[in-house]
Amino acid sequence: MKIIILKDNLREGLNSVVRAVSENNNLPILKNILIKTFNNKIKIIATNLEVAITKIVSGKVIEEGAITIPFSVLNGIISNLDSEKVSLDSKGNSLILKTDNYEATIQSLNEEEFPIIPEIGNTKNHLKINTEVFNDAISKVVNCAQISEIRPEISGVLFDYQISSLKLAATDSFRLAEKTLFDKDFKADFTTGFKAIIPLKTIQEVPRIFREGEMNIYFDSNQVLFKGEDLEIISRLIDGNFPDYDPIIPKTLETESIINKENFINAVRLVSNFSGKVNDVKLKTKEGKKVMEISSATQHLGENHYLVPIKTKGNDFEVVFNWRFLLEGLKNFNSEEIMIGLNGDQRAAIIKSQKDFSYFYILMPIKNS
Amino acid sequence: MDLEQLWQSTLGEVELQISRPNFLTWLKNSKLTHKENGVVFVSLPNNFAKEWVENKYNKTILSVLRNFDDSAKKVEYVVENKNTSAASAKIIAKQKSLSEVDLRVQQSFAELRIDPETGLNPRYTLESFVVGSSNELAYTAAMAIIKDVGKKYNPLFIYGGVGLGKTHLLQALGNEIKKEYSNKIKVKYVSSEKFTNDVIWAIRNKRMEDIKEKYRLTDVLIIDDIQFIGGKEKTEEEFFHTFNALYENNKQIIISSDRPPRFIPTLEERLRSRFEGGMIADIGFPDYELRMAILKTKLQNRGVSLTDDVIDMIATKVQKNLRELEGVLNKILFIQDNKKTELSSKQVEEIINESIQQPIKNVSPTQVIKAVADYFQVDVADLTGRCRKNTIAEPRQVAMYLLREVLGLSYPSIGEKLGKRDHTTAIYAYNKLSKEISKNQNLNQKIIAIKDIIQKE
Repeated sequence: MKIIILKDNLREGLNSVVRAVSENNNLPILKNILIKTFNNKIKIIATNLEVAITKIVSGKVIEEGAITIPFSVLNGIISNLDSEKVSLDSKGNSLILKTDNYEATIQSLNEEEFPIIPEIGNTKNHLKINTEVFNDAISKVVNCAQISEIRPEISGVLFDYQISSLKLAATDSFRLAEKTLFDKDFKADFTTGFKAIIPLKTIQEVPRIFREGEMNIYFDSNQVLFKGEDLEIISRLIDGNFPDYDPIIPKTLETESIINKENFINAVRLVSNFSGKVNDVKLKTKEGKKVMEISSATQHLGENHYLVPIKTKGNDFEVVFNWRFLLEGLKNFNSEEIMIGLNGDQRAAIIKSQKDFSYFYILMPIKNS
Repeated sequence: MDLEQLWQSTLGEVELQISRPNFLTWLKNSKLTHKENGVVFVSLPNNFAKEWVENKYNKTILSVLRNFDDSAKKVEYVVENKNTSAASAKIIAKQKSLSEVDLRVQQSFAELRIDPETGLNPRYTLESFVVGSSNELAYTAAMAIIKDVGKKYNPLFIYGGVGLGKTHLLQALGNEIKKEYSNKIKVKYVSSEKFTNDVIWAIRNKRMEDIKEKYRLTDVLIIDDIQFIGGKEKTEEEFFHTFNALYENNKQIIISSDRPPRFIPTLEERLRSRFEGGMIADIGFPDYELRMAILKTKLQNRGVSLTDDVIDMIATKVQKNLRELEGVLNKILFIQDNKKTELSSKQVEEIINESIQQPIKNVSPTQVIKAVADYFQVDVADLTGRCRKNTIAEPRQVAMYLLREVLGLSYPSIGEKLGKRDHTTAIYAYNKLSKEISKNQNLNQKIIAIKDIIQKE
């Protein structure tokens, strides 16, 4: 194999696949990446046997071929080089990397040693969606997911496709977020609805490396493929049933309060300085439900409280939340005002926007003792 | 040689022919699942392993396999996703931000603990189900079913009032079957509300087939609070077909309701007769001994204790509802915990009285009388009239009882409302029914059903 490639292109390729490079003592080759020529372009591939990322970059192919070398060595060289162009030339068991004034010989392995990247079983049907729309939707739910050994089925994001809508949901059992996309947002030709759980690590990668344009998503019984113009992520799916979360969604609310979002976020941030080990902040109505007091106190630090104007319908409330969970939820909204709905201090609260019904965030309070 | 041995021997030889790391990575979690017409099916943990083994080791594996079993002609590889991966374990170590925070007081969604596959809540176990004379029959029937799923007592219909442990028994039964047969029997627990919602969803999305498949592929179907499907025609119809499909295939069906099938007024005849065709077991009001036993078990489970006087007082005072019993117990423990002193018996009594007071809805005496008349299908005029036929006298006494029990009317005014009768007639009726109600389950059911009607209006 012999290629000449712009340093920036190579760096972009390495950045795209970095998260799929893994330290595996059983199989040291997973520390490597595969560089392979393909239709006069260059493929850079990495995998940890759970997910595989393939990035196609442009360059000049002089001689076809493939080679696998340790990611960290190449990455170290590329990030410190000052030349614009790099030439890569494989000679037997080594790769010679050359610029005008630099030369390195890197120990390499044969392509045969590198894991074979699986292909998706069903290429007939797929879902096509604008990358920015999809990334925005993912970013609104992904912070609720958490890796759990005991409960693999919630260690990812639910992808619930029902012909006319696509729901994304995630939960860590303390909070839950759901975002609905409607068929105006995407094009799909699946004939039936289905549910799939995409591993957290995979779905976190998608917005990081897919930036613009359109994205195509394929599914088979145990894999998902995200495919862009020059980028592919193939990953296993989590086997299991995502919990039926419908019973969690409050159907009626004792109290509904409308609050300016920025105001609320600032208040929570400020007040949280005094919160204790459990991250508790208290929300409480005051002055005939026109104002909400946000407060926290710890014995050895002191206490503080902040008043925010609210519009409230329903009962007075006094409820304690983990401020991190509250803040993460609030930040997921784009609207100027949000509505927080409560059912006492023991049951789940829901945060919604008055203007956008496609998204909600539910969180459980902290026991108020 | 059975399949497992065959595969172990094969692996033993393959291991010698390829490098150790390769063997560990690609073949460690493999399994020979079955053999069919010379094709041997091998499951591998992920697609990478499948691609690799298929492309690199297939020849080796097949030739070794043929040494042990010459009927093998071909090996097919399938992916069996078991969610085991070394990668995920590492991420946990990295995700420390959450674990630094004390999450003990953070409440979580209780609903999520429910097993999404079976709908069962693992919290309910048979061990924690306390058996007494009032629920013995239902419990025995449940035990018989565990031994002989689908063959004995099918369907099992359990009825009893609110908060007497129906749901506990049903869920525990489901959990036990699941455990006993180590997931070989597919159990599904749904509330009738969930069943209705599923049917509505299916109608809306034109996916009736999904629902049919979902419910008909189970081996044990448990439906809680079946009385709520009464009157919902499409749901009843769907349930009827599901019921028949399961019943004909000897699948176990377990149903609960707050009253016997014949007292669910809106239930279709064909369903009713089917429910009555199996075993009907009731769960009655717990007697004093059972209440004591339950309280003691609950205390023991929490590792706390109360004086015998207090336990006795709770068991004596809270008679009709085990959920209420637990609620009162919780409250007493909570207050005692906060005050850090033992409560006096007077305080305990106050707490109990406070807790078991029923919220009184705005119901007028006319509504009560009308509900009774509707239930017994007599005219209101008959109740207030002078007729003393048995068919009228019983409803009239029930009306008197309910006016006293629900509205707390004075005896003279009860007499007045029901045809200007003497107050002693009202006293007699109330006392008679109060006594009878704890003995006569039939009467009890009627009263509960009428109270229901009153509540709903």
